[in-house]
Amino acid sequence: MSLLALKDVSVATEASGRRVDVLRDVSLAVGRGELVGVVGESGAGKSMVGRLIASMLPKGFAPSGGSVTFLGRDLLAMPPRERTGLLGDAIAFVPQHPMTSLNPVLSLGAQFDEHLKRLGQDGKAARRERAVAALDSVHLPRPADLLGRFPHQLSGGQCQRALIAMAFAGKPDLIIADEPTTALDVITQARVMELIDELQRDSETGLLFITHDLRLAAQHCQRIAVMYAGEIVETGPAAALLGDPLHPYTRSLVAANPGIDGPVRRLAALPDHMPGLSGFADLPGCRFAPRCPVRDEACAAARTALTEVAPGRFVRSAGACRERSSLLAGQGDLAGAAVRGEAAPILSVGGLGKTFRSGRDWLGRRRAPVVAVDEVSLDIAPGEFVGLVGESGSGKSTVARLLLGLETPDSGRIVVDGQDITGPFQRTAKQRIALIQMIFQDPQSALNPRQRIGRLVTQSMEVRRPPARWPERLERARDLLGQTGLPQDTIGRYPVQVSGGQRQRVNIARALCTAPRVLVADEIVSGLDVSVQAQILNLLLDMRAQMQISMLFISHDLSVVRYLCSRVAIMNRGRIVEQGPTEEVFRAPQHDYTKALLAAVP
Amino acid sequence: MSGEILSIILRRIAVAIPLMLLVSVLVFIVLRLIPADPVAMSMPPNATNEDIEALRREMGLHLPIMHQYGIWLGHILEGDLGRSIAFGQPVSKLIGESLPATIELAAFGALFATAIGLPGGILLFRLRGRPSEQAVDVGSTLMMSIPEFLWALFLILVFGVALNLLPFAGRLPPDMTIPRLTGFLLLDCLLTGNLTAFLEAIRHMLLPALALALGTVPLIMRLLRSSLLDVIGEDYVTMARLRGVPERRVINRHALRNALLPTLSLMGVQFGFLFGGTLLVEVIYSYPGLGNLMVEAVRNTDLPIIQGAALIFALAVLTINLAVDVVYIVVNPKLRRAR
Amino acid sequence: MSAEIAIGAATGTGERPLRRALRSGRVVVGGSILLVLLFCAIAAPLIAPYDPNEQDLLNALKGPFWSDNAEPGFWLGTDNLGRDTLSRLIYGTRVALFVAVCASVGTMLVGTTLALLAGYFGGVIDWLISRAVDLWMSFPPVVLSLILIVGFGVGIGNVILAIVLVDWTRFCRVVRSEVLVIRRQNYVDAARLSGFSHLRTMVREVLPAAAPLIITLMSLEMGIAVIVEAILSFVGMSVEASIPAWGVMIADARNYMYQSAWGLILPILAIVTTVLAFNLLGDGLRRTFDARLQQH
Repeated sequence: MSLLALKDVSVATEASGRRVDVLRDVSLAVGRGELVGVVGESGAGKSMVGRLIASMLPKGFAPSGGSVTFLGRDLLAMPPRERTGLLGDAIAFVPQHPMTSLNPVLSLGAQFDEHLKRLGQDGKAARRERAVAALDSVHLPRPADLLGRFPHQLSGGQCQRALIAMAFAGKPDLIIADEPTTALDVITQARVMELIDELQRDSETGLLFITHDLRLAAQHCQRIAVMYAGEIVETGPAAALLGDPLHPYTRSLVAANPGIDGPVRRLAALPDHMPGLSGFADLPGCRFAPRCPVRDEACAAARTALTEVAPGRFVRSAGACRERSSLLAGQGDLAGAAVRGEAAPILSVGGLGKTFRSGRDWLGRRRAPVVAVDEVSLDIAPGEFVGLVGESGSGKSTVARLLLGLETPDSGRIVVDGQDITGPFQRTAKQRIALIQMIFQDPQSALNPRQRIGRLVTQSMEVRRPPARWPERLERARDLLGQTGLPQDTIGRYPVQVSGGQRQRVNIARALCTAPRVLVADEIVSGLDVSVQAQILNLLLDMRAQMQISMLFISHDLSVVRYLCSRVAIMNRGRIVEQGPTEEVFRAPQHDYTKALLAAVP
Repeated sequence: MSGEILSIILRRIAVAIPLMLLVSVLVFIVLRLIPADPVAMSMPPNATNEDIEALRREMGLHLPIMHQYGIWLGHILEGDLGRSIAFGQPVSKLIGESLPATIELAAFGALFATAIGLPGGILLFRLRGRPSEQAVDVGSTLMMSIPEFLWALFLILVFGVALNLLPFAGRLPPDMTIPRLTGFLLLDCLLTGNLTAFLEAIRHMLLPALALALGTVPLIMRLLRSSLLDVIGEDYVTMARLRGVPERRVINRHALRNALLPTLSLMGVQFGFLFGGTLLVEVIYSYPGLGNLMVEAVRNTDLPIIQGAALIFALAVLTINLAVDVVYIVVNPKLRRAR
Repeated sequence: MSAEIAIGAATGTGERPLRRALRSGRVVVGGSILLVLLFCAIAAPLIAPYDPNEQDLLNALKGPFWSDNAEPGFWLGTDNLGRDTLSRLIYGTRVALFVAVCASVGTMLVGTTLALLAGYFGGVIDWLISRAVDLWMSFPPVVLSLILIVGFGVGIGNVILAIVLVDWTRFCRVVRSEVLVIRRQNYVDAARLSGFSHLRTMVREVLPAAAPLIITLMSLEMGIAVIVEAILSFVGMSVEASIPAWGVMIADARNYMYQSAWGLILPILAIVTTVLAFNLLGDGLRRTFDARLQQH
């Protein structure tokens, strides 16, 4: 018998005055000692599953059907007090944001003590001993010492280990881990996942692993459930599901994911994006139908049931789409399409360095100087995409800011198209604006929410001499929207009125306005869902083919870099530790850091 | 207390010293702008031009302004704030006599403000999402609209005139005297063992201290409420709930501790303002403190007293801010450096 | 999580701010009171039954019409010199509103300009401005305004100047921290990369984002200005004696509160109502603009 079983669970709320099922007929089981993954894009309702089990649904959300059986009892029918009693004890949680999930004014020891006391451990000394043992079990060095520290004195990885230690401390029957590694760097992420594997292997604990990353889930879980728009569309053993996805959505997820090995094929990107909550109400039948490449009239109107197609494999689909879903494989080998850097470089950076030594805090304490960028040299040929890979704090974003002139380098030279633009922004603004532009990471922050898109994308024409007139700007805006695949009617909208993927396109369109030779893109797909990410990546490829534009593509995601870039530079602690043709570097990494990075990719 | 915290506190004190010097410059300069001539005011009407010139020299008014400031500052550091024009007594003596009364009043005001404001803020937070929240909210806006000097008058009208419950003039009934030992009346009453006078002194203090407090209370309430609302959405609060910590403890231990930090630093600023509020409250309650002295001096254009009192007010505010910051540093672990 | 974002995107936008503000009860009530007061100030000679300085010593210290010693014709009674309280209250709105508007505009201009410079450029400029604010804040506002008035002399222009010189710090501190937040938004950098000058970036990108806060603060500042003016006239350091002001009325009536409590209560009510109106307006605007509060 399974430890946890959700049977036909629905959760309803009201959106735009209509009742919608945020979760619809969700069935899911976790057995003792089993690791089950729930995979979905943001808004698919995967976090809602965790919240439902914790009875912490947001205000206005309530279960509207089905049962949640835990250890033979229906959680939904249980008195609230009893349900709260299970939390932390029989059901434990590992959070998404470790740094902010520990109380900043309490020492780690105090928080452990509180938790163990609640678990019924008597005696302060005994609790302390257990806390030390728990920290030791997650391989944190000098655990006794750590207990006296405060969260801000720990790194993200350390915080997450401590939280995992806390979760496992009570030997819970079930652990729910909601995106436990998303906030962490690639290498830390791999280590934390290893730790979870290890702790779980030795225990009877069942683990529900909620993530957006299909590959990560497949690597660690025994079984996977894929969610879309509040429904589970497919469940099955991890290997089988990834190797032979049956539902069109699962297929498209796999196809939209650039791999770290194998041939580089053009990603098959689904059109559009997952509907928001209020959109669910308009989808009486298969909620995936509007985006499905193999849909027919019947799918959109009729609800489909989860049916067992092979032992342990369930798919929510009509028979027809299963047969036709082979249409969704990646198309066209891209090898050879990329430009290799043989021509004279369009962007040439030599010996770039930047140290932040300014700054005191409000008490007048001097902050230690930080060498953010150290002797960075890099060339990019016309039409070439070069990847700059590093973890957070590696200095890769500072490189971008230096190239654009938002910071002035301490040393080194930046030459674009034969023109030296090293100096402070004021002096070099004119050349820079025409030659090199930036696509910012987060379009939410990069697009002024008070301005219409037409105005935003032609921002740089506003200060041109002589000033551009409106008809001219409108025309240019239409061009740019066309080039970036945006519908023409977005011209008069505000950024909040379009989807996240479209906002990123607006962001790109603005960078293209001055027709620059070089684009610097800082983590521009990291906040996007897989299917939207694939759209943007393909857009960038098309731009390269049509405009011969060059790009420095800054990312932490090796598979994305492999898909786009012919050359790659690996950055660690302000230095470029290795650079070369992407395939070569990935096949035979030389530097230890590169090897560690590659090994950490799920 | 660790050496690190001690060094942070010492640094904080070091930051305050140049500020105090600048404060003295500001006071000096502003009061040089006065159109009234301090020399003419302190001379008899039949004085000759030579007499006036002699006094100018004696007062150092012919010297360059920076030089004058230097002399003035030197005197201040020696505790000499000059002589009152109206009373002819040393300013330091006048201020020394009135300051304890003001400190006592402000301390009680701050105490009342804390005692009403913090529970009020928690109450306001507890009422979130209930129908009564709106009423309480509008009530707090109304309270925000009444400054302490109107509270002072209002409390007199209600508790003094209409109900005749509490006295509202001076620090003691006119027929009662207490030998001056420390200048702090409550302390003096206790030292002389006069319990009746002690209770009377408290009765006299209630209305003015309450008036001071009521000007500050709504701000404290609102800030604590909004800090709690911020904190309650933090991940660590969710995580505490997910660990099964009872809701009451989640609020009291996890949320409140964090929400009190910003409230505490606001209270530092507010208590500084509250100290300034004594000025009018003292006038209204005929309370023989620094504020009354200063307003009197303003009416007489008694420059040395105005200067001295302004300086003391500023120093008091700086001291209050410093004290609150020190408390903040001690209770906030986030200021400790990463190891 | 994403569900909330979706809902926010559906309802939070598309509606014009003014219309949204007018849906707030606070804005409507506060605004209506202020319109009435504004009408009183402008039309004072038309609606006041008497000249505010006209004395009628035979009818001194009369109560309002509902009290026992009321005198027909003097609806809200008279003061110790027999001047009509209602007329003096109506004329008092002139000083109060004039000071409120001028002083808040002045503090806004000084405070916002310095805050923009400090928050946008940071570094030395920020350090200097922030220290100046610290210095100013170490004087209790009442004390500072009093010594400024001693320095400048009485008169309505000097009162306004004193309030501006005292209260710009309030604006500067709050707006500066808002500007620091806005400055971190990438769209400010993006504007620079589009070739915007610092000035254009500040005016076009930073200032509009801070505008809701500035408007809210201005509304609150008007209330504060009314209070400060009342305090100064209470201690006789504001306008000339011939101009009726609420603070002066309070000071006069305080000596006769046993004979005529209403003479004291009415100007107090006038001040509280005015300040309340400004605070309600400010509060309502803040709630309209503050998305976080909307959700609660």
